[in-house]
Amino acid sequence: MRTNAEYSKLKDSNQTNYKKEKSTSFLNLLNIKKYKTEHWMILPSIIILAIISIFPFLYLIYASFMDFMISSDQPTFNGITNWKKVLINDTFWASWGRTLIFAVVGLLLEVMIGVGIALAIYELPKGRNLVVTLWMIPIFVAPIVAGLLGRFLLNSTYGLYAWLLSLVGIDVQILGDVKTALAAVILMDVWEWTPLITMIVLAGLQSLPKEPLEAAQVDGANYMQRLIKVVFPLVSRTILVALLIRSMDILRFVDTIKITTEGGPADSTKVIGFYLMEVAFKFQDFGAAAALGLTMLFATIFLGKQFVNFMTKGDE
Amino acid sequence: MKRDILFKIIVFLAIISMVLTACSSTSSTNSQKPSDTKAKNAENINTEVQVDAPFDGWVEGLPKITAPEGFDWKQFEGVELNVITENTPPSSALAANINLFEDVTGIKVNIEQSDLGTVVEKTSLDFNAKSAKYHVIYADPYQILAKHSQHFVDLNAFIDEKTMPAIPGGLEDFIPSQLEVNGYMGDTEALYALPYDNPTMVLAYRKDVFEKYKDEFMADKGFDWTPGPNLTWEQYYEAAKWITEKAAAGEITEVKYGAGHQAKQHDSLMNDYSNILAGYGGDYFEDTELGAVGKSNPGKSAMTSDAAKKSAELYKKIIDVSAPGSTSWDWSGLGEGFAAGDIAMAPEWHEFSSMFENPDSSKVVGKVSWASLPKGDVRQAHSYGGTGIGINKYGTDEEKKAAWLFLVWATSPQAQYMILKSEVGGSTPTRHSVYDIEEVQKGMQAGTEESKQMPNLLPMKVTLEAWKEENVYMRPKVPQWPQIDTFIFTELSKMLADQQTPEETVEEIAKQSDQATGN
Repeated sequence: MRTNAEYSKLKDSNQTNYKKEKSTSFLNLLNIKKYKTEHWMILPSIIILAIISIFPFLYLIYASFMDFMISSDQPTFNGITNWKKVLINDTFWASWGRTLIFAVVGLLLEVMIGVGIALAIYELPKGRNLVVTLWMIPIFVAPIVAGLLGRFLLNSTYGLYAWLLSLVGIDVQILGDVKTALAAVILMDVWEWTPLITMIVLAGLQSLPKEPLEAAQVDGANYMQRLIKVVFPLVSRTILVALLIRSMDILRFVDTIKITTEGGPADSTKVIGFYLMEVAFKFQDFGAAAALGLTMLFATIFLGKQFVNFMTKGDE
Repeated sequence: MKRDILFKIIVFLAIISMVLTACSSTSSTNSQKPSDTKAKNAENINTEVQVDAPFDGWVEGLPKITAPEGFDWKQFEGVELNVITENTPPSSALAANINLFEDVTGIKVNIEQSDLGTVVEKTSLDFNAKSAKYHVIYADPYQILAKHSQHFVDLNAFIDEKTMPAIPGGLEDFIPSQLEVNGYMGDTEALYALPYDNPTMVLAYRKDVFEKYKDEFMADKGFDWTPGPNLTWEQYYEAAKWITEKAAAGEITEVKYGAGHQAKQHDSLMNDYSNILAGYGGDYFEDTELGAVGKSNPGKSAMTSDAAKKSAELYKKIIDVSAPGSTSWDWSGLGEGFAAGDIAMAPEWHEFSSMFENPDSSKVVGKVSWASLPKGDVRQAHSYGGTGIGINKYGTDEEKKAAWLFLVWATSPQAQYMILKSEVGGSTPTRHSVYDIEEVQKGMQAGTEESKQMPNLLPMKVTLEAWKEENVYMRPKVPQWPQIDTFIFTELSKMLADQQTPEETVEEIAKQSDQATGN
């Protein structure tokens, strides 16, 4: 049985050892002799990684605390001014709000349609490759081209969709009306990226083990029961991967908005990516843009972490 | 163990990154010394005698491009110039005829054309890096020159240099108001750019509609609706509303709507509204001297004035009776709508005339007339949107001299005349001397052979009137303009979407402007 004094002594000595170990491990970094050949072999990759990834990230943090107007020769330190400018700004929060609406609605539609189409293609007795090829075409279109296509189709002067709507008495200016503009750009994104979800889910479906499905069929389960009880649990992780890829991408959505609505009408399509572009390249306030970009980066990291946690749950 | 290795890698990366960050902070400072502007063979040049340059394209009546005797036009052979410009008619025309310059000088010219936003972005980054990737820059007076004048070469250094070619016809051959707004910033000590293009807003209207229904409208409303200097913005609204209603009732079949506007949440919306604002005596700032050479601090916003409120109310009324597509149109969308034959009146940039008279892109060929914009309580006001071209000061001396030769040629009367006549161009000249040529004079008359060859001359009579000091509207030339412009068109867009009243709109613009300018 140890006394309290012994406990605290032990605690102190543990802490001292830990500190020593940490400082030694840091100093060990500089001990060139202890590195093996394999360490030296990965050094070029580490340096390249630092240049293309870590350095810009650190530079972004540095810029977010500087008065970084492009017209000034040397940026000067301005504390948290840029962060205040960004965070105490209605447009910033409104843009994030629209981004969330965009992401939630867009992802829901993409997943529902994408999974549905994947299941339909999976059940096809033949001609699967042809259908997949045709369904994939929108992915190969550059987002800027997708935006142009949307703009032309919805143009009130010569657009096909605008003309079809006018035939049934709907004379709404889809890209010029606050009630429809956001929905239109969401649908453009859905049109372009749903096939990606389909492709990922289809790959998951094709790699499913046959036994559980056959067992369910022998037990008399109907199609819906097999889908809910067997197929979805087995492909849920694949769907999550697809969701992760798209959700990170959707936060950076800019191209189509730039080419169609430029954030309007009445800011109704100004998502955070577009607002960042405006602050950086139009206002040329790189300090504020760096702070704004970091908020997007944190949001993406947070989102990614949640997905990873969810996927690794139960693995340990 | 794994964590220890990971920790080491992170620390190592951080050290490398810090070193790189530190290195990047020590930016190279470019020499501020005046450049050498002399010709290479200056000692063999006789500056007392001017000799005609060997460029093709000169026509009788235009000032010639000349150089001092002994000047070697090939002295910069092999130099490669990168020109960045908005994708406008003059740039397309220059690109199509660039061999005229390259053959004489041996200088290779790459013309990169993009939308204005991209030009602003790339130019800004180039200035920031001081790398002179672009040697000649399309110096939009509001988005580029106002913010970056310190990065341009003062062209006076070349103008004063006797061993280099002079500006043909001199600076006085440029339209003065355009030279002022495109060339200077803050004062007239340094000249940064030479006028290059000059789109200006005037009124395009369907003369067939206005002639056919003139009497009926007059009987109904009691005034002559013919567009011109006597028409007011209120009367314009009445005419637009009347046509829209009659077209909806099927009584007018030639068009669908009385008016169309460029009211998208875009720079175009600010321009469109500015015509009415200035017509009622309003402006964006209390300081009314910002439109010419500009200022670094514009002072307090004037958007809480009665003129601002009244013009915002009227603008909202006008858009409500205009083509519904207006809120999704910038100037190109409006041009397409008008060319499709849907609209009776459109305040549009005068250079769209070539589009309206081109059978491949228009259903209204021969049916379009041009007039000055309606007037407000105080005056007629026409938004001016011209631009100059300047030289990046971070280039080498040789590149800057080669760029000067390009500027002399590209802004010369004969190049401006070539652009006017070009099938891919069609921009209107920035030179008095070109307008004095008999052929160009004839081209301003509707129905002449010359007007068919140069359709952009059709609106020139009213455009020349619009350029007069009392009729032109030059928006404020201040470094904060890109931001203030965004506030203006965003708030106006909210007003048009019924999210706020005209009064709330102008007050919000004033508040945001004052925040941006620190007033």
